[in-house]
Amino acid sequence: MEYFIQQLVNALSVGSEYALLALGLAIVFSIIGLVNFAHGELITVAGYAMFFAAATWLPNPWLALPIGIGGAALAAIVFEKVAFRAIRNASTNTGILTAFGVSIIVQNVFIIFVATRPKPVQTPDFLSSMITIGELTVPTLQVLETVVTTIAIAALLIILKKTTVGMAMRAASKDFMAVRLMGIKANWVIQSAFIISGILAGIAAVFIISRRGAVDPFMGSVPVLKAFVACVLGGLGSLQGAVIGGVALGVFEVLLQVTLPQEITAYRDAIVFGVVGLVLVAFPQGLLGRKVELGDKEA
Amino acid sequence: MNHLLRTARNSALPIIVLTAVGTLIYFFAEAYQVRIAYAFFMNLVVAIGLQVFMGNSGVVSFGHVSFMGVSAYVVAILTIPLALKKTQIPDAPFGLGFVQFDVVTAILIALAVTVAFAWVSGLLIKRVSGAAGEILTLAVLVICYVVFNAWIDLTRGPRSLYGIPIASSLPWAMLASAFVIFVAKFFRDSEDGLQLRASSENMLAARSMGVRVERLRLKAWVLSGFLVAIGGVLHATYLGTIGPNSYYFTQTFLIMAMVILGGMRSVSGVIVGTALISVGSELARTLENGPMVFGTKLPTMFGLTGFFLGAVIVLCMTLRRDGIMGDDEFEDVLRNRRASKAAKAAADTAAQAV
Repeated sequence: MEYFIQQLVNALSVGSEYALLALGLAIVFSIIGLVNFAHGELITVAGYAMFFAAATWLPNPWLALPIGIGGAALAAIVFEKVAFRAIRNASTNTGILTAFGVSIIVQNVFIIFVATRPKPVQTPDFLSSMITIGELTVPTLQVLETVVTTIAIAALLIILKKTTVGMAMRAASKDFMAVRLMGIKANWVIQSAFIISGILAGIAAVFIISRRGAVDPFMGSVPVLKAFVACVLGGLGSLQGAVIGGVALGVFEVLLQVTLPQEITAYRDAIVFGVVGLVLVAFPQGLLGRKVELGDKEA
Repeated sequence: MNHLLRTARNSALPIIVLTAVGTLIYFFAEAYQVRIAYAFFMNLVVAIGLQVFMGNSGVVSFGHVSFMGVSAYVVAILTIPLALKKTQIPDAPFGLGFVQFDVVTAILIALAVTVAFAWVSGLLIKRVSGAAGEILTLAVLVICYVVFNAWIDLTRGPRSLYGIPIASSLPWAMLASAFVIFVAKFFRDSEDGLQLRASSENMLAARSMGVRVERLRLKAWVLSGFLVAIGGVLHATYLGTIGPNSYYFTQTFLIMAMVILGGMRSVSGVIVGTALISVGSELARTLENGPMVFGTKLPTMFGLTGFFLGAVIVLCMTLRRDGIMGDDEFEDVLRNRRASKAAKAAADTAAQAV
């Protein structure tokens, strides 16, 4: 029983991490149709922001947290301005390739100017402590990750439902032209979407980095692959889909980790991708996506 | 028959130019330059192989490098001498630890295995398009990489397999690329190729004209898998040692940059793109090591090659989305030039007559 609860907490925290990243991908995709593979590099940027802040003038590990989140949000704005604005109305293919290009550039900038080797990053000590409730001992980090993700999703819901920019974003995912005809600036809506995706990635980054204790130039690529899978699994562009896909993927991964015999666990990612591939063949629009017939006006 | 001849005529120009350059390098250049030229021809084979699927169907594929990996691993496992095999993969399944084929048989088996693999994966991939289709190709890449790493009994896992007999050399790579150029052009201009390209422009219109998109996609996928597998054979039989990291994202993006810089919809474009990227990344590699320029030592900057590739992809996508050649092949460019020259001459004579 204790083992079960520990693994459940573990699964939820992994799922939350994927959900946070997948939400960022989904928000951007729902508005401008961009599959942002450079999303993982936001995590990397957040990590290096924390590393540099600690190495230079702000050694307090508590300050590293807002700096990481801010760094990711700032990087998201820069990516949008520099690369993605130029290809705004292009096809999905163009978007995917550009995003991959941006991600390679960012990785290699860190290789050139910092190092390929991992650099240590200090985060507050309590993140690596354990919580004991009765018989049960679980890592603080995992509990906190689930809680913070829930709060972040709630905050996002409030923004989307109650604020002008949130409503504009929801409307833009249906019909961008109508939003612009209402006198709302396109750039403003898109930038806000990128900022939100940056903040969400920054929050995920704080947890990822606390777990690893170090940053390296390639740390973003595996999480973003998983987040992308979660997104597509839930239905690209659907925010509920992103959350559900993320949690489902996390639970599935931990389940495989726990139940599979030792010698098969090496194949875990292959199994995950295999299952996701089969799901996609059966439901090309994702589990929650609406089926769109070719030629439908509202795609 | 007519189509065969026309393709032969149209692909003659790039094949002759490439062969001439390759021959010059083979006979007169330094050993390391021959190696660079070999890498160029090998990447050309893979890039054109990728073009056959991506360029005609319009679906971006991140999975093709795995075909290279599969065929390279099959060649390696079948040709490594038994004594060396015993030390590297003593527990190879299916009794593979006790068989050794000659290189030609092994290559044929490798191509057959890869084509079979492409066919099976293609049965799934043909059904899905858009972003879901792309993630499916990505899944192929990840699954193959994980299997190469995890099936230690067969592939030696993350450590390299070595001792593959070195049977290939620059002329073989040149021959292979000539073959691949011919096949790619043949397919592009064939009825199937034309229908598939039409479906990438407008799926609905093509379907309504009776184009069987799924079937054509599968055909293109298997054909391109076969061509890329040739690239894998070239890789394994020249280096003599292979590891899983050669068949993952780095190689994928190198090939991707080559294909989209030149223009993925044109075989000629891919040739141009491969040439430019090969020269460019070789320059970047030189700069990376901190060369001496006018007496000053430049700093070493590892990562410059990758930075260069990323920059090429982003700039290409923002400035010239269809690549350098766009939809045109070399013969189209020549014909257009001839046509515009003729038009100008006609206009001149008309002006004189007046």
